[in-house]
Amino acid sequence: MFLTISRTFKEGIKNFWRNGWLSFATVSVLMLSLFVVSVLMMITFSANLLLKNVQEKANISIYFKSDVTDEKVQEAQRELEKTSEIKSIAYVSKKKALENFKSNNVNEPAIIQSLEELGDNPLLASLVVRSKNPGQYESINEFINQADFFGDVSRVNYGKNKEIIEKLNGIIATTKKVGLSLEILFAVIAVLITFNTIRITIYSYKQEVEIMRLVGASNIFIRLPFVFEGLIYGTIASISSMLILFIAVKFAMPYLTSSIPPAILIDLYFSKFGLLFGLQIGTGTLLGIISSMIAIRRYLQI
Amino acid sequence: MEKEEEKKEEIKKEPEEKPEEESEKENFVIKFDKVDKFYAEDAPVLKGINLEIKEGEFISLVGPSGSGKSTFLKLIYAEEKPTEGNVLFGEISIATIKKSKLPAHRRNIGTIFQDFKLLPKRTAFENVAYAMEVSGFSKVEIEEDVPQILEIVGLQNKANKFPHQLSGGEQQKVAIARALVNKPLVIIADEPTGNLDPESSQDIVELLLEINKLGKTIVLASHDKEIVDRANKRVVALDNGKIVCDTKKGKYKVIKCT
Repeated sequence: MFLTISRTFKEGIKNFWRNGWLSFATVSVLMLSLFVVSVLMMITFSANLLLKNVQEKANISIYFKSDVTDEKVQEAQRELEKTSEIKSIAYVSKKKALENFKSNNVNEPAIIQSLEELGDNPLLASLVVRSKNPGQYESINEFINQADFFGDVSRVNYGKNKEIIEKLNGIIATTKKVGLSLEILFAVIAVLITFNTIRITIYSYKQEVEIMRLVGASNIFIRLPFVFEGLIYGTIASISSMLILFIAVKFAMPYLTSSIPPAILIDLYFSKFGLLFGLQIGTGTLLGIISSMIAIRRYLQI
Repeated sequence: MEKEEEKKEEIKKEPEEKPEEESEKENFVIKFDKVDKFYAEDAPVLKGINLEIKEGEFISLVGPSGSGKSTFLKLIYAEEKPTEGNVLFGEISIATIKKSKLPAHRRNIGTIFQDFKLLPKRTAFENVAYAMEVSGFSKVEIEEDVPQILEIVGLQNKANKFPHQLSGGEQQKVAIARALVNKPLVIIADEPTGNLDPESSQDIVELLLEINKLGKTIVLASHDKEIVDRANKRVVALDNGKIVCDTKKGKYKVIKCT
């Protein structure tokens, strides 16, 4: 048995080299398919990353009337903390709000000057509420409207954020749907193309297989080299696809998407390297092996 | 003692029956027993074939193309199964042979064809070695046996040539070497000289006769008169799927058996 495996393995490697062009074509097709699917996956990953960033910036700010004391604001904070949807609440005091305002407008001395002329601090204390899930802002808003401290509230800026947050929810849902269906679609195409290519490769062996059978080669002895060849196709294709993906991420992507800093993409590539490579080598070799087996069974009738 | 007496009695009982045949039956390698073969229902390729081939025999199967020679040979190496009747190869019944037993059966038969059927991407050495590899011989055995066999067919200097670098006659010799290397019981040659010039054809027949002298059974199908005459061995003529002539030693004859 060991002799059969080692012989057929060597045979598979030999076939791979002796069929130079055919092997090259098969590997290229397989590599291209894997590459397209992984580019799609990268796009989904970076879209998710982008959305996550925006999501983290989304919030509800509750501004309190200027005569409301710090204690009352903190009381309101405690009450809000009881709700399960909230991820974090940040308290911005009047003083802090003024500092933020000043640092945000450092380059516009006219505004700062007019603020100083005013003497008093016109800014309001606020609570910045972030939810765990962007879909929950609606219910948090409801909660605020019905809370005991609502009388002290000057305004809630959810109204302004509302549209953005809702849009964001829509975008997240569609990217997930579209991304996944595109991935599945391309994966199916990849499987079909690869299967067809390997089928043609094996069909070209028709006569050789006939000879092998005449000489008394057992089915396993005829089949295994093809299976190993499929394994080699998968391995080489996935390694080269990962290499090309790296090059694409490093050099090409920054030109295409200005909204994502290239360093983040490289980080993303390496953080998902295991997943991408595992998936590729898994599907690549499996695809190679399975299509070889089906093609042998169907087209060589052994 | 008892058994011997029984045998004697049997012979006494039927003195008309040739006692020779009793002993001959023991050592047949191939036996066709009332074999019919149909590919399509109304077109018999072989009809009512009865034939015994004994060990060490050299038999030339002649007949025009379409007379059923190739089918006859295919039934021996179990590429086809008989529609009716049975073909026996030693103990093996071709009519009922299991698919899993096919490879082992084929290793007992060396096959030679008109189109050589060499693996194009392998050298002469590798082509011969392949037959040993599939039978599970070790590397040491392969490296010892293959050069010997190549020497027998006279190709020891061309072991590393690929088929396309060899002449037709040389390619056929590689095929013969491959057929021999597993030490089969029977060599089957289907029009081995069909693609060769007369000189190479003579070479191939001489080689087959040589191999026959070593004790191998040879079944040669050919419609090349010169080849069959040169062999000058048992001739079985097929026509329209029937045996029309079976002469112990002779020349190429078709249809009319004189």
